[in-house]
Amino acid sequence: MNQQDTYFIDFPARVKAIQAGMAQHNLDVYLGSRLRTTSWVLDAFCPWRSFVVIPAEGIPTGFTFVIDAARVADESWVGEDNVRGFAPMGGQDQIGQISEFILDLLPGGKGRVGMESGMSNYLPEGWLTHYEYEQFSAALSGCELVNAHTLVDELSLIKDAGTIARFREASRQVDEGHKAVAAALANGGWKGLTETEVAGIAALAMRRAGSVWEWSFTGGNEIASGPRTGYAGGACTPATQRKLAAGEPLMVDIHSMFKLCLGDHAHNYLIAPATDRQLWHADNFVRIVTATLGAYRAGISPADLAEEMMGLAEDGGFADYMVPGFEHGIGMMGDEWRIGKNDGPFPYWTNPDHVYLENEVLICAMQYACPEDGVGFRYENPIVLSKDGCEALSKYPLGVDVVE
Amino acid sequence: MSGKIQYLSEEWRAEAERRLKAEITPEKMKNMTASLANVFHNCPDGNAWWLFFGYENGELARLEVGQGDPPAAEFTVSGDYDVFARISRAELGSQRALMTGKLKLKGNMVKALKLASVVDRLNKVLAGIEAEY
Repeated sequence: MNQQDTYFIDFPARVKAIQAGMAQHNLDVYLGSRLRTTSWVLDAFCPWRSFVVIPAEGIPTGFTFVIDAARVADESWVGEDNVRGFAPMGGQDQIGQISEFILDLLPGGKGRVGMESGMSNYLPEGWLTHYEYEQFSAALSGCELVNAHTLVDELSLIKDAGTIARFREASRQVDEGHKAVAAALANGGWKGLTETEVAGIAALAMRRAGSVWEWSFTGGNEIASGPRTGYAGGACTPATQRKLAAGEPLMVDIHSMFKLCLGDHAHNYLIAPATDRQLWHADNFVRIVTATLGAYRAGISPADLAEEMMGLAEDGGFADYMVPGFEHGIGMMGDEWRIGKNDGPFPYWTNPDHVYLENEVLICAMQYACPEDGVGFRYENPIVLSKDGCEALSKYPLGVDVVE
Repeated sequence: MSGKIQYLSEEWRAEAERRLKAEITPEKMKNMTASLANVFHNCPDGNAWWLFFGYENGELARLEVGQGDPPAAEFTVSGDYDVFARISRAELGSQRALMTGKLKLKGNMVKALKLASVVDRLNKVLAGIEAEY
């Protein structure tokens, strides 16, 4: 964007202003963690837990969940090398990776690091912040504050019949959204539509069916077209004003909410003409989704399933295009990430060896992405696990539909 | 004599180089230009060893073994000798080792994700070498 543009903002100047303030306060590094800070510094929508590390001089580096890092890098002015993704892997979890990055900026690993601690009335998760903890500790000076969230986490792991029924209804609403999108795309209707309009078409249909919110904090209904479907390792695509185009893929990942239970289903299209290569990718995708849905049951673990499915992908010659994860957690509003309890090797991430139980509900989720071909597909569907298999709650037919 | 090659010896390195060049095409390596250093802690001899892979346009340009600090690499994977040995014996997947914290990766995770399946291919070839650990 050039300086004459109406919407131009001088982000390097903003950073220099922060760095001048850091010098005045004798700070060597600034660790930003608030959404307002990432927005103001990076100029990119960061709906996942994100951080920005601002050095004493030079360009800041953003850190976000790895499934969204390529998109944030694509949208931010700081560039690919200054957006990092974190993940539940040795050396790559957010604390380890960011700490190491900061230590590399500081001579001898010593210095003053600015951070952000306070409180607010809005943020989805609601952990007690450092500031709130200090204030409650002072106000309850005769009491011991004990971290006890595992009580709720363990009790909410298995879904009762009423919760599952609500999820089933939310999925029915999502299916109505998909039907409306399919109808809007048909017979040349896709021409001139933008991703945001597709999101709106789905939203209207789902609300007519009873949904009260496109609940995802990742931008509501996630619609991606063209190369945006194929971000490397990407699985987060807030809709943009990009227009659908012939010969391109379209990913429709929509979200409904019914009595605080959540619909979350992704369906995929190829706008004709589809190439043989695109159809090959589509076949691979449908094949692995089918296999994954056939493999889910109580008694297996996320790591077991990932190894089995990545083996299938390698044998099929498409492992390069798979993100090696096949699920995410789900529960009532606000419970949308980790599978199971907080008992894995990386705190607050899914335990890869978690053994699934009957009546757990999770999102069967996978992302297929081939950036070099500008094509990708996503699958998400809430499933209820049973002893012998799983029930997919969205009944919308699996496939990659070619829109003529 | 078992007839097996000692893991990380010069003989093992040469055999690994021969097999990697013969069995993995540049296309299978996604024509990548990248470097990876495996750093082995708690080795049987008490020293820290490293194994360095340098790829240029999908061709193996450097495969080196040494002790002490490894050459600068785009990605560094560190962990106990025993964990690497289990991966080389195909008893443990490298991705599972990372997911469970048995190995530690340093480098850009987004780029590393693109190369995850490539590294699995390397390990699969190395697992074919009959080695003594």
